[in-house]
Amino acid sequence: MSKETKAASSKDWVHYYFKSTSGVIGLILVLIMVTLSIISALNLAPIDPLEQNPVDALKGPSGTYWFGTDQFGRDIFSRSIDGMSRSLSVALLSVGIAALVGVFLGVIGGFFGGWLDGLVVRASDVIFAFPAILLALAIVNSLGNSWIDTSIAIAIVYTPIFIRVARGPVLTVKEMDYVKSVRVLGFSTPRILIRHVMPNVLAPIVVQIALSLSWAILTESGLSFLGLGTQPPDASLGLMVSEAQPLAAFAWWSLFFPSLFITVVVVGLNLVGDGLRDALDPARRSSG
Amino acid sequence: MAFLKRLPSVLTTLFGISVFVFVVLRVIPGDTITSSLGIETGVLTPEQIESLRKYYGIDQPLIGQYLSWMSSFLSGDLGFSYSTGAPVWDLTKSALLVTMQLALFGTLLGVLIGISIGMFSARKPGSARDFLGQFFGLLALAIPGFVLSTTIVTVMANKFQYFPNGYEYMTPFEDLSMNLQQMLFPSLVLGIAVAAPIMRTTRSALLETVDKDFIRTAYGKGVKPRVVRLKHVLRNSLIPIVTMTGIQFGYLLGGAVIVEKIFALPGMGRQILDAINKREYATVQSSIMVFAILFVTINLITDWVYRKVDPRIK
Amino acid sequence: MKLRKVWTGLAITAMLGGIFVGQPARAADTSLVIGSVLDIDKTDPHTATNFATVRGLGLVYGSLIEIGAKNAIKGGLATSWIFSKDGKTLTLNLRQGVKFHDGSTFDADDAKASLERILDTKTGAAARANIATITSIKADGRKLILNMSIPNAPILAALEGVNMAMLSKADIDAGKIGGANKPNGTGPYKWVSWEPTQSLKLTANSDYFMGEPKIKDVTIRVIPNEASILSALNAGTIGMGIVTDPLIARQVKSNLKMFKTPALGYYALQFNTKVAPLNDKNVRLAIQCAIDRNELINTALLGQGQVTGPITSPAFRSDPLARPCPKQDLAKAKEYLAAAGKSSGVTFKTLVTSTGWATSVAMAQNLKAQLAKVNITMDLDIVEQATYVPRWLAADFTATLANNGGRIDPDTMYTRYFTSTGNLNKVATYSSATLDANFIKGKASGKVADRKSSYVAISKELEDNAVWVWLATPFEYRVATKKLRGFSALANGSLLQLRSAQLG
Repeated sequence: MSKETKAASSKDWVHYYFKSTSGVIGLILVLIMVTLSIISALNLAPIDPLEQNPVDALKGPSGTYWFGTDQFGRDIFSRSIDGMSRSLSVALLSVGIAALVGVFLGVIGGFFGGWLDGLVVRASDVIFAFPAILLALAIVNSLGNSWIDTSIAIAIVYTPIFIRVARGPVLTVKEMDYVKSVRVLGFSTPRILIRHVMPNVLAPIVVQIALSLSWAILTESGLSFLGLGTQPPDASLGLMVSEAQPLAAFAWWSLFFPSLFITVVVVGLNLVGDGLRDALDPARRSSG
Repeated sequence: MAFLKRLPSVLTTLFGISVFVFVVLRVIPGDTITSSLGIETGVLTPEQIESLRKYYGIDQPLIGQYLSWMSSFLSGDLGFSYSTGAPVWDLTKSALLVTMQLALFGTLLGVLIGISIGMFSARKPGSARDFLGQFFGLLALAIPGFVLSTTIVTVMANKFQYFPNGYEYMTPFEDLSMNLQQMLFPSLVLGIAVAAPIMRTTRSALLETVDKDFIRTAYGKGVKPRVVRLKHVLRNSLIPIVTMTGIQFGYLLGGAVIVEKIFALPGMGRQILDAINKREYATVQSSIMVFAILFVTINLITDWVYRKVDPRIK
Repeated sequence: MKLRKVWTGLAITAMLGGIFVGQPARAADTSLVIGSVLDIDKTDPHTATNFATVRGLGLVYGSLIEIGAKNAIKGGLATSWIFSKDGKTLTLNLRQGVKFHDGSTFDADDAKASLERILDTKTGAAARANIATITSIKADGRKLILNMSIPNAPILAALEGVNMAMLSKADIDAGKIGGANKPNGTGPYKWVSWEPTQSLKLTANSDYFMGEPKIKDVTIRVIPNEASILSALNAGTIGMGIVTDPLIARQVKSNLKMFKTPALGYYALQFNTKVAPLNDKNVRLAIQCAIDRNELINTALLGQGQVTGPITSPAFRSDPLARPCPKQDLAKAKEYLAAAGKSSGVTFKTLVTSTGWATSVAMAQNLKAQLAKVNITMDLDIVEQATYVPRWLAADFTATLANNGGRIDPDTMYTRYFTSTGNLNKVATYSSATLDANFIKGKASGKVADRKSSYVAISKELEDNAVWVWLATPFEYRVATKKLRGFSALANGSLLQLRSAQLG
């Protein structure tokens, strides 16, 4: 962890990131998915994802229906990008909450120590003691099925990871001479935290955000596959896979394309995460 | 001794878990539970209803409800399913076995696949085979278990007319061959998911070890490369691999929810999912608690193994 | 070298898993595994409403009357019967030598106690209203005499089915019905065990009055989706599958036997006419006019179904064209909305089961899309069958998409729903004096021709008020291995014919 405290200057790591082919590929994949999501969110999808055209039901991929149609003649491409935008929204909101809360608690706990720290660590141990999907399942069951409920559930599940990621470096930074000296100088605590501690925690958090986004997408699609997330007729990638089960044997596209979308975005986010990790951690650069 | 030292922290964690489970499930209004007790009157005997009232701590303030639940739970009373009158513990006993077997097989397959591909990749870093290995690792990480399961079921059944999970679930003691067949694909799905991080850990651990002096010395001494790889390199890379395996074992227990549902295996995940859908709160509450205890225990064991493997940690 | 051996050993172990790909052990030819998505939800036959429960318990219990091929009424535990001249007394002669699974003999006292249990409002019996005209029951040796308040010919058909199961008087007196109590019936199969969400196990009843069934063991296995049921059938791991999804039915190939019968049951969009906005007849009519049933059938049911009116009983079938807007009429729908003062649109929530039958969510999605065209927003509240059934029974919905069972007699089909004292009237949410009168009139004769006008009037009133929107009747699919012989599917979905079937 201590190596990461030497934050690389920004120019430096951007330059380094773009030298890695896999990082660039990951970024491209993610950007494609983000662009498609924005297109869908702005209602610019070629066909309304909810529109049913019974005449064209269960058609394979074609010029009109790039990914084919489902049993109602709905366009699977439009539904896939709609589902992607929903997945990404949930992922962003949940990881956003988890990162904010987790980093805050981790930094505060690590910096001040004592019973506060004990409580934070204990609480994250508790949440760590549940398999993620199971915990999300139980929370969604209590909260409800809306995308915000799903996001909150996933946020709770992933908050402890951010607590851990933030707390570790803080413990190290706190003991460093220059932080000790500014403390002695009587700088206000928030100022020390923001000016001196945060920059050192940032790198691992950025990496963690990229990776958590990919897990959040997997968790969200898992929940909607089980019927506990997005509700029909709204499109969601997990739900589309679930709906494709009886169709898969003769309409492969109904299963293939939504699955492909999930896989591509998760691959992309993982590559970005790996790339960032390498770029932000000078120690890893040599070992490549 | 090490275990005793950790006992207080384990106990506080378990306490925290029980409070957490209680709070999460109590967001459901209490009268929902009371009314659910009324729906199937006649199913439960008066004694069972009384025992369930005690289990939920109905008519008591929240703290009382919690204490009531805990005292029932600790005395081995996990409540009843109110639609069938079956004690939750009876359901849980058999379900636990299924999930444990699944997780164990999944881990075994995961370790096997993960280490093999990790070694395959690490042989020549940066080469085409390394790329292939890493690509597999990435896909294994990114393809959700439910996609893999759905695909396997569709392909196996339609192209090969093979679907052992359609048959009634057999425990290993009833019909070992059938049991293994039923476990094969679910554990493979879980195993692949687990193989990805193990593969990555193996690869980087191996690459790190290869650079160490004693390995160079071994090569220098003319020991066969294969022997060096297996005997020296792999052995000395074991610690991170074991740790990663432990972490993943816990993940497996979660992944089991989806896989058990698709492959119709009567494990803990499916029991909890069904109970959630049926609003069987006693079953949900107790099963999640049991699951969490299992999880904590496994982490303890991992920790213990970790200490055994790595003599530096004392 | 040693390590290498270990490694090879591990690899071989891994491959063994792959080599295993042989056929799973096939069950012996006297046992049949039936795959079903739905599990039974209770063991009390009188209160059972879930299709799976009715199907499962139907093998365990017997009833006085049975429905045979071509929907004919025939004797079950009663062998013959006679109505008094005034039609107010029915005397049934009971079959001799019938035994309950616990070994005790079935007699008129058991029959009397069973019917009285159904009539007791505390039981909450699903079909109480169908026999509510019974004022007293007399058990006289092998004879069972039913006295009724009014002439009631269709009561004969009402005595059929699981909801009219004959229980042992001793069990009733001891309160040993339902719950964890082992069902004790007179049916062809004895109850062995039920593991919820897993399987129901039955074994042949050697004392069965038609002789011991040739298929000795029947297991109804819960398989989470119909695609997997078909997979299991193709793989030979199960011998029969309950299929409700036309998507699956169309994938059945010639290696399997398909029993396809038009169902008596029907799909309807049930309204709660007591709750806004559906308490307004014009809103209901707007919905009725906005729906294109053929589109629904073509999309959600893949064309596998027929447009239907309220009554599906073959001899009394409602004319599906005799309704407001027999074809989708969006202009008319908008007129009705305007008349309701809701030109800008209407929103209502619909309770939908996610697992009750395979096409439920698909149907709901199509209806939603259709109604959206006239600014009617149909919000979907999708819940598991286990949650759906209690909510349906408690009328805890504004609207609900329902798959209700049909009967061969319109009286037994709808008396419980649409008479003011019907035990499901709370769920139907509609009754009127004219309906009550027409139901009484319909009971008076045993002849179809005499009764028809009553049911035409009932149908008309229900449709003109758009009490519910009756949509379609599906098909019942039973898919089985080619080895299954002597089985015939009945329109009511019963598996009773397994008693005369055999494998191979």
